Amino acid sequence: MTIHRPTIDRPMPAGQVGRSVPRLEARQKVTGRADYVHNLVVPRMLYCKVVRSTVPHGRILSIDTSAAEALEGVYRVVTADDIRTVVPNPFYGPAFHDQPVLAVEKVRHVGEPVVAVLAEDPYVAAEAAQLVTVEYEPMEAVFDEIEAMTSTAVVHEVLKPAGTFPDLKHLVGRRDTNIALDYRLRRGDVDAAFAAADHVFAHEFKTQQVMHTPLEPMVSLAEPGEDTLTIHTASQSPSFVRIEIARLLGWPENRVRVKVPHLGGGFGAKLYIKLEALVACLALLVRRPVKWSLTMEEQFYTITKHASTFRIESAVDKEGRVTGRRCEVFWNGGAYADIGPRVTQKSGFTAPGPYDIDNVSIDSYALYTNRPPAGALRGFGIPQLVWAYESHTDLIARGLGLDPVAFRRKNLLRDGRPQATGTPVRDAAIEGVLDDIAARMAWETPFDRGSGPVKRGRGIAVGFKASIAPTTSVAIVNVAADGSANLYLSTVDMGQGSDTAMAQIVAETLTLRTEDVKVVHPDTDVTPYDMATLGSRSTFHAGNAVKLAAEHARDQIAALAASLGLPPGSNYAPADLFKKKYGMQAGNIIGVGTYIPEYKSPAPETGLSDNVTPFWMVGGTGVEIEVDTETGHVRILRMVNACDLGRPLNPKIVETQISGAALMQLGFTMFENMDLDDGQVTNASLADYKIPGMHDVPDQMESVITEAEQKSGPYGAKGVGESATFGVSPAIANAIHDAVGVRLTEMPLTPQAVFRALREAELNSSTTSA
Amino acid sequence: MRGFELVHPGSLADAIGLLDTDDDTVRPFSGGTALMLMMKTGVFRPSRLVHLGRIGDAYSEITASPAGGLRIGAMATLSALEHSPEVIRVAPVVARAMTRLANVRVRNVACVGGNLAHGDPHMDLPPVLAALGGSVSVAGPQGTRDVAVEKLFSGYYETVLGRGELITDVVLPSQRGWSSAYLKCTTRSADDWPALGVAVSLRIEGGAISEARVVVSAATEILTRLTTAESALTGAAADESTFARACEAAAAEAEMVEDARGSADYKTQLLRVYLRRALTQAVQDGAVS
Amino acid sequence: MDASETVKKIRFTLNGRPVSATVESHVDLVDLLRRFDLGGARESCGQGLCGCCTVVVDGVAMSGCLTLAQLVDGKRVDTIEGLDQTGALSPVQQAFIDEGAFQCGFCTPGFVLMTHQLLERNPDPSEPEIRDYLAGNLCRCAAYPEIIRAVKSAASRMRASAAA
Repeated sequence: MTIHRPTIDRPMPAGQVGRSVPRLEARQKVTGRADYVHNLVVPRMLYCKVVRSTVPHGRILSIDTSAAEALEGVYRVVTADDIRTVVPNPFYGPAFHDQPVLAVEKVRHVGEPVVAVLAEDPYVAAEAAQLVTVEYEPMEAVFDEIEAMTSTAVVHEVLKPAGTFPDLKHLVGRRDTNIALDYRLRRGDVDAAFAAADHVFAHEFKTQQVMHTPLEPMVSLAEPGEDTLTIHTASQSPSFVRIEIARLLGWPENRVRVKVPHLGGGFGAKLYIKLEALVACLALLVRRPVKWSLTMEEQFYTITKHASTFRIESAVDKEGRVTGRRCEVFWNGGAYADIGPRVTQKSGFTAPGPYDIDNVSIDSYALYTNRPPAGALRGFGIPQLVWAYESHTDLIARGLGLDPVAFRRKNLLRDGRPQATGTPVRDAAIEGVLDDIAARMAWETPFDRGSGPVKRGRGIAVGFKASIAPTTSVAIVNVAADGSANLYLSTVDMGQGSDTAMAQIVAETLTLRTEDVKVVHPDTDVTPYDMATLGSRSTFHAGNAVKLAAEHARDQIAALAASLGLPPGSNYAPADLFKKKYGMQAGNIIGVGTYIPEYKSPAPETGLSDNVTPFWMVGGTGVEIEVDTETGHVRILRMVNACDLGRPLNPKIVETQISGAALMQLGFTMFENMDLDDGQVTNASLADYKIPGMHDVPDQMESVITEAEQKSGPYGAKGVGESATFGVSPAIANAIHDAVGVRLTEMPLTPQAVFRALREAELNSSTTSA
Repeated sequence: MRGFELVHPGSLADAIGLLDTDDDTVRPFSGGTALMLMMKTGVFRPSRLVHLGRIGDAYSEITASPAGGLRIGAMATLSALEHSPEVIRVAPVVARAMTRLANVRVRNVACVGGNLAHGDPHMDLPPVLAALGGSVSVAGPQGTRDVAVEKLFSGYYETVLGRGELITDVVLPSQRGWSSAYLKCTTRSADDWPALGVAVSLRIEGGAISEARVVVSAATEILTRLTTAESALTGAAADESTFARACEAAAAEAEMVEDARGSADYKTQLLRVYLRRALTQAVQDGAVS
Repeated sequence: MDASETVKKIRFTLNGRPVSATVESHVDLVDLLRRFDLGGARESCGQGLCGCCTVVVDGVAMSGCLTLAQLVDGKRVDTIEGLDQTGALSPVQQAFIDEGAFQCGFCTPGFVLMTHQLLERNPDPSEPEIRDYLAGNLCRCAAYPEIIRAVKSAASRMRASAAA
């Protein structure tokens, strides 16, 4: 494998931002000493094991816990009735308060927690859980998102909007249906555009349900105090956990302490509130610390990525300009809404893609079904959309006999032009990303198409994403009397390198070495509010807060210098100032920064807003592939991923983010798939649910940091955790089409699917010619 | 998986004695990689595990016979097979198959005997050994017997091994003059369980195939010898048209099982393609001397 | 079953130090190491597929989650924590840092130990050999390109210092 190293080397004045500093915690990670909740043990701790629903939808008729309780070593067996003695209304969730801590009266998906068993020995807890028997009266279930639109099986009889987030305030859902949210956008006159079109293209694309499979399986540990509760949790959103647990308990926020050490991967699985509600209730119920660790298998029943169906239709004029687009997107949210409604809206409004289209209509539906719940997974719905609109775009170009890159160039959204919502696009290097990929792949030059049964092809795709808003980040920088600094921040470093990037921002601003900045891990007793580590928001949102905090500290140091009689611009070390002021090494300077970007919610009727996002992420992929026409096997020879991430804070970490995101999406594209049988996941283990390994990495991987700047970002930077996922799936499908002339419209793109399509095409052409 | 007894017999006879019981919660334990999975998921709850690690070093030896065959102790690890100079010389196809079998850690502890006795049709080793004409020596309360590897499996995860019986050795007949290949195919990630495994062994004399063995696994419920494909090969020239006939015969003969790795039809197509490729490779690699 | 038949006292060498423990038959090697406060081997997939629980027993790598603790009686057990006992990182560890060959770090100890195993047996592996050897370790952050670079870099450092 050859790796192209972008030569972006333009550090800022202090030399800290733009420098490829190794991760601050690197030594802890290579020595196995990094702390994860996975390894945490506290005195008097009990282990929890839950008994899970075996039916997809059903009323609970009876629960028999007697055999489990009789097993030696079992401390307690807990049902929803017990939970209610601690939390009278035990329902949680970020968008709807729809998810019970333990199932109440009915179950809505296979694998839903029904009973919790506590024991000092985890093996005893596991054995006892198998001794609990639950009787269900099965109810009609619905699994498919399209069927859920009209199904007589209704997953939730009552809808309970949470009202937590301003962008989801209008959430009401539709009673007696499975529609948790329908987002609509209307801009221009779509019907007129289609009536006047020279060409109309309509397609339907589907994606499958997949899982994040973080290698540190989800885990939380709650420790009760006298009138406090401490939760150690592998969470991407400690601030949200604190607020949600306080709400459930009816406590003030300050009595709930949430601590997050390193995370063994998150990818969206560990967002909002997951295991924390149950461990909190259990710990308060038994007045002992309780730890709940999921197995890999259990993760598949906890949170997943939305399966989806996307119907997309375009009106195109004779010059090859897209004049109108209709989008209908159906998101399979599973049994509990989690953050699905936000996926539905936030991703929904970019469904027409990064194209300049005057007339657009979008309908995006969050649907309840009896599958395991779906939430955020690296891209927040965007990969599902890009898969559809970039496959569609390629089909239009082919239909018109135009080069796919030239056709995209003709229609791309350019700086200052309004996106579907009406928000003008700024600082989004959509064309730059496309150009970088095309240049790397030498798109204009002839391409070797292979010989014999092995055909070669290439494909390209670009996508974009709006960032999250409204949202708040707060940071505190504490400069000690020797000039070293601590950064207090509730952003979670789950591997993306945020600790290092944030330390670089502090170091740049205070003219320190990055290595001399210590980042204090999230501890809500100590670190200030940060909405969550999601949606590639940290670099921009938290980064801006950190920069403001560091500037605040820097200004106070300057003021201290002035108060000590030093003329402005004089050269001094902060340590000398402290010594001069206090007569010894003493004191602190505390800088605080709060960042809240401007935002305007889409109008409920039209879905329009002139300021729908603080920034845009752009990512694209180009691939060269080989298709074995005898078996349908696709081999990816080369993959180029380019992203606009503004100016990179740490180029090396950014490259790893780019290739890592693309490889994860490669798994979702080619083979990852939760096989469901009547709501049960039949491949809930890494033996049968395959994720990419060494041999799945393309022969040649290239990560490209597109020349760009996010003017409103800290030192010109913005996030990149998700951007390289956008283009992967359609680029591969487009390349398959290029290689062998068949189009796949459903993921994953398995060899069998390719082979079947080839066979069908063969049959069609022989019947046509006959 | 709590509360079982882990015992360490010091001889084969003691091990057989401990296993001579109707209690199916008593099982032999060698590398343990397969049993541990079943225990961790609660599929198997043992009362006693009879660990075979101390029955004697002789049972992990690999020796080449002067005639060009091989004797492999059942307690030899898969890694030992992979790196054994004897295996590489006498049956190079076996060593090659190891490099993509499970992973290094599993190969380091999993043993040949357990790999065969587990009866999992997705394993790579059984079809290779069957194609090479291998047999196993079995010792039990009633004495010893030999069973051809191709006759060892009686069903999905089932073998013909009786109460108290253990595989002690794998015996390969002389490989001289035989050209062999094993190919497997995955349809999800590259290192998935195979959707299909196909092993071939040919004896080619003067450009014609005098003897052939064709074995399919993973796609079928149990490892299966494809005799009509073998007939199509035997006596014919080792060329493309013969291989094409053999592949069609194999496709008509093999009973494929649909699962998450592919439909029966698709696996049949894979067999057509991979059998041809395996035959071609066997010819290309040439005979063992 | 009587506890005396399921519980056993074992003695083994842990990162060069003789130790003993009394363990039940069902306890696996990851559990056992936890009792010695060693957290570098972690159970993730529980099936020997991901390599997060890699432990080296008598010089041979195995999956701690599939190894019964009683079976290491009398053996030498080496873990990731043993690599830098002198205070200096191993060349492999240093190469992983220099190449940025990880993100979340959860799988990293397994990759580092397996890389040591590979380089002990094959000091100059080709890229296909690296891929084959490490195919049994999974990294969900997919830092594979960087890991391959780190293995190559560690190999050349180790060859250089062996030649010196």
